[in-house]
Amino acid sequence: MSGGTEGGGVAFWAEDPAGTAGEYVLGTLTATERAAFARALEGDASLRALVAGWEIRLAPLAGSIPGLEPAPRVWRGIEERIGGPPGARSPSGDGGARLLRLERGLRRWRIAAGVAGALAAGLALFIAVPRPGVDGRQYLAVVDRGGALPALIVRVDLADGSVQVRSLAAEAPPDRSLQLWYVGANAPPRSLGLLTEADRLSLPAALPAAVRGATEGATLAVSVEPKGGSPTGSPTGPVVYSGRLVRE
Amino acid sequence: MPREADLARLIARVAGGDRLALRSLYEATAPKLLGILHRILRDRDAAEDALQEVFVSVWQRADRYDPQAGPPLTWLGAITRHKAIDRVRQEKAARLTPVEEGFLERLADTGDGEDDLARRDALARCLDTVEADRRDCLVLAYCEGWSREELAARHDRPVNTIKTWLRRGLLSLRGCLEAA
Repeated sequence: MSGGTEGGGVAFWAEDPAGTAGEYVLGTLTATERAAFARALEGDASLRALVAGWEIRLAPLAGSIPGLEPAPRVWRGIEERIGGPPGARSPSGDGGARLLRLERGLRRWRIAAGVAGALAAGLALFIAVPRPGVDGRQYLAVVDRGGALPALIVRVDLADGSVQVRSLAAEAPPDRSLQLWYVGANAPPRSLGLLTEADRLSLPAALPAAVRGATEGATLAVSVEPKGGSPTGSPTGPVVYSGRLVRE
Repeated sequence: MPREADLARLIARVAGGDRLALRSLYEATAPKLLGILHRILRDRDAAEDALQEVFVSVWQRADRYDPQAGPPLTWLGAITRHKAIDRVRQEKAARLTPVEEGFLERLADTGDGEDDLARRDALARCLDTVEADRRDCLVLAYCEGWSREELAARHDRPVNTIKTWLRRGLLSLRGCLEAA
């Protein structure tokens, strides 16, 4: 019996898809199973239907849990992370302060049990906040997988074609490197460099000159690679962050 | 608690980038979702951090909500529970806190929402037909985020037995609900 799908083996849930979907909803799959199942869900409508069925059947149990009033800081944090209060535009010079507030809010996030567990969330979030810059061609993005993975702050300056990545984490995964990729439309990913231990706090990388004009709609992605970076020149490990560059 | 139809409309507006709608959705559902997070994470700060992540997810993914696939609260609850499970699995410490009893009783008498009273009654009745040990595992896993290992320790059984209990418990639950 196979334990996974890699290498074309039989998926571990093949024997009991309904039970596996039920356990996915309960949350009792092992971390490895949970991550693999979450990945499979993305491309398998029949598995998603099984999961939806269990979510609906069991949901009344969640209704039995008493509510709790959140502290006011919770909404303020959400508002900051989605780009300010309704209708507000970031006034000139406010970008730095907002960045600091974001950092305070996210400082506790850290890499804990590796990447697999966080991948199980299956939630790649991407928040783009246009920064007041020269002719509005700067983007500030907080790229966030949720869970215990650190958020990354990505700053893209179209004027000089530079990309800056700052990790809000205190640690990097042991024996692995995070590698930043630029994915243009209909083009293979290009490496922009590694977020290594030494420079993880700031990775200046140049956008490929040829694609500077076509940055709008391109994707930045971060994958987990062997120490030292992908041996093949293309992403080989799981993509833990990805986000499209969008202008609001 | 607002009606599901109102929540669905709010989610549609959130999908269109309406921050005021997100605020309304938050006011309507945040206490309920924080309760779920706190029950699993057992830490107020961690639960509130996770609640922020939930609503940022909702902001980003509201366009993926399909009313045909389930009611809005079920969708929000699923995002919330999966967020909590992912977090709790990354903490190494086993949980030592005693179990709070009485879920089934509370299931019978919670009074929020009218649309799903029938579903709640059916689930309570069907849970009642599941063998007690298996029911205990299902409820602790769903409501409190217990892992197979934690349940194995609680019941002093091998992990594989717990897995069997969970799957058979789920199957008999589904059988009962579908027979209804």
